[in-house]
Amino acid sequence: MKILELKDVNKIYNSSEIKVHAVDGVTLEFQEAEFAAIVGPSGSGKTTLLNLIGGLDMPTSGKIIINGTDLSKLKSSQLIDFRMRNIGFVFQAYNLIPVLTAKENVEFIMNLQKWSRKVRDERTFELLQAVGLSDRANSRPSKMSGGQQQRVAVARALASRPKFVLADEPTANLDSKSAATLLRIMERLNHEEKITFIFSTHDARVVKMAHRVITLEDGKVVSDDVRE
Amino acid sequence: MIWKTAWKNVWRNRVRSLVVIASVTIGIFAGVFAVAFMNGMIAQRFDAAIDEEISHIRITGKDYILNNDPQIVITVEDSIIPAIRSLYGINGMVQRTLVTGMAGTASKSAGVQIVGIVPEKEKEIFSIYKKIIPGTGDYFKRESKYDLALIGQDLAKELNIIRFVIDSAVLKKLEIQKVPGDILDKISVLAGKRFPNEKKFTSTITSILSKSELREYAQLVKNEAWSFRENSKITLTFLDMDNNQVSAVFRIAGIYDIKNAMYEQVQVFVKNDLLCQLAGIDENSFHQLIIRLNDVNQTVGITNEIRTRCPGLDVKNWKELQPDLAMMTDYVHQIYGLFMGIILAALAFGIINTMLMVVLERTKELGMLTAIGMNKRRVFSMIMLESVFLSLTGGVVGMIFGWISVVLSAKNGINFAQYAEGMEAFGYSAHIFPEISLSFFILITILIIITGIASSVYPALKALRLDPAEAIRTE
Repeated sequence: MKILELKDVNKIYNSSEIKVHAVDGVTLEFQEAEFAAIVGPSGSGKTTLLNLIGGLDMPTSGKIIINGTDLSKLKSSQLIDFRMRNIGFVFQAYNLIPVLTAKENVEFIMNLQKWSRKVRDERTFELLQAVGLSDRANSRPSKMSGGQQQRVAVARALASRPKFVLADEPTANLDSKSAATLLRIMERLNHEEKITFIFSTHDARVVKMAHRVITLEDGKVVSDDVRE
Repeated sequence: MIWKTAWKNVWRNRVRSLVVIASVTIGIFAGVFAVAFMNGMIAQRFDAAIDEEISHIRITGKDYILNNDPQIVITVEDSIIPAIRSLYGINGMVQRTLVTGMAGTASKSAGVQIVGIVPEKEKEIFSIYKKIIPGTGDYFKRESKYDLALIGQDLAKELNIIRFVIDSAVLKKLEIQKVPGDILDKISVLAGKRFPNEKKFTSTITSILSKSELREYAQLVKNEAWSFRENSKITLTFLDMDNNQVSAVFRIAGIYDIKNAMYEQVQVFVKNDLLCQLAGIDENSFHQLIIRLNDVNQTVGITNEIRTRCPGLDVKNWKELQPDLAMMTDYVHQIYGLFMGIILAALAFGIINTMLMVVLERTKELGMLTAIGMNKRRVFSMIMLESVFLSLTGGVVGMIFGWISVVLSAKNGINFAQYAEGMEAFGYSAHIFPEISLSFFILITILIIITGIASSVYPALKALRLDPAEAIRTE
């Protein structure tokens, strides 16, 4: 089932003297439960493309349609709400809320969506168990390693059962062992929860595990390989 | 969740938050105590004015108030007493006869107002009978073959009825009150000397004590050296109803002290039947009818009702007799609110600065929160709640400290004995008992919450203007 569609998406940044074509005529489709990596050299437009897909930035032209909804048709407040219900985010620097425990971080979005306490608790427990951190539920981020924090971030991204998760260089700050653990967990959750994962990455280990690899250069898609 | 997160965020940078909380605490504590102090002072002045000087309503004959003409009297036949007594809310009434004259002793004289009273009835309205200085007599209680007059402390000083004596008993009392030995040694050179008035005594001790010693101990020494010549006489001279000069010798019944120099210097009380007899005033006539109400808040309503029932008389309530006091009591809450508002406005700048730093430091996190779906209303609420928690925590601690300090200081009061003379000249007691009402704490709490919200608006708007994609990239 098609969950995400990009139609001739362009993003041009106008600085005072130079025009930067960060994303140049990208047309892509993503199906349910894909595990896709967007690769390319620095400055190729990976992060810009993820920001456009995530509704954090708007394209200069073209359309981004998520589950039938054209993002350009949404008002700013509707877009925030749409992101909360449909998109999970995993950031390179984890970006957990430092004053909250792992459990509270995971249930944060469920709280925003006003889920009942019972459902919330069940889902939080299930996710923390899935990322192997049920014993650290009451730990604050400062008491956890980078790998553990990123696993909490993955659990948070999946908490409200989004249509897909966008992960911007999720393993960039992790050692190889933590990165491998995280990738295994994400792959398993992708399989079990049927949630699409889209990464931007430089990491060869991520590329190796991806089922689909999209290569960007100068904002253009130069290859789109699907692996069996 | 937003509330919990906001509260936890307050403690993210403990030192910074504690500095802000401490500044709010000190500001609120100072404000509460200052207001309690002013409130106590005003309340004491109000109580003194009502209980000792003017009561709630005063009725006189038409135009009596213009020149105190003793010919303008109210007579019992005017039947105003039953008309007023039937009004709801009247606690008591008393009649007074007044003549203006001179009071004199062998050495001094002063202008006075001689007030004819019925002592037992006066007790129902005024509490001067409780303010007789111990050792000076009583409130017309004792039987005497002489005619008696009750005078104020300041008139007694003026007429040299009060003298100042240093003897061994005085030195002993000062020692008990922990006056240092070197000061006692200096004072002891005055032992056995009598000073006929306060002026001479003051100039003598000023010459033997240093400025700092005077500031600390002069009032204490005066209080102990003060003595009263028993059976002192004064002569009261005035014109009777036929404009003949009348002079009569009175013994001092007692000396009252109501901490109002102007009143004490002028008001001399004698028994009403005696004054009527001396001044040739018919005993069924009087100059003032003074009314005490059950509830001060009914003053204006009852005044108007009496005016309707007694159109031929001058009816004045305490607000009209002492407009300065009325203004103070009417606007006191606005003044307190303004005072606290100024303190909180100053504190608000500190809170705004802190909240701006909070937003600046948490740009990345705020961007992340917006990205994952926290809408503008929630971001605004979170920043606003942090600001309110910060100010309210300091405010509550400040209010608790303020309340404790008020309770402790109200136990024995705060005595500004060294400024007594100046304060009593304006009718204010120098011994102040701070007091504060629950409603004031409610007012402060509301003001603190408003300050917290107002202080958060600019930082919160800055947070709302953040672009999530850019904010997340911030290092």
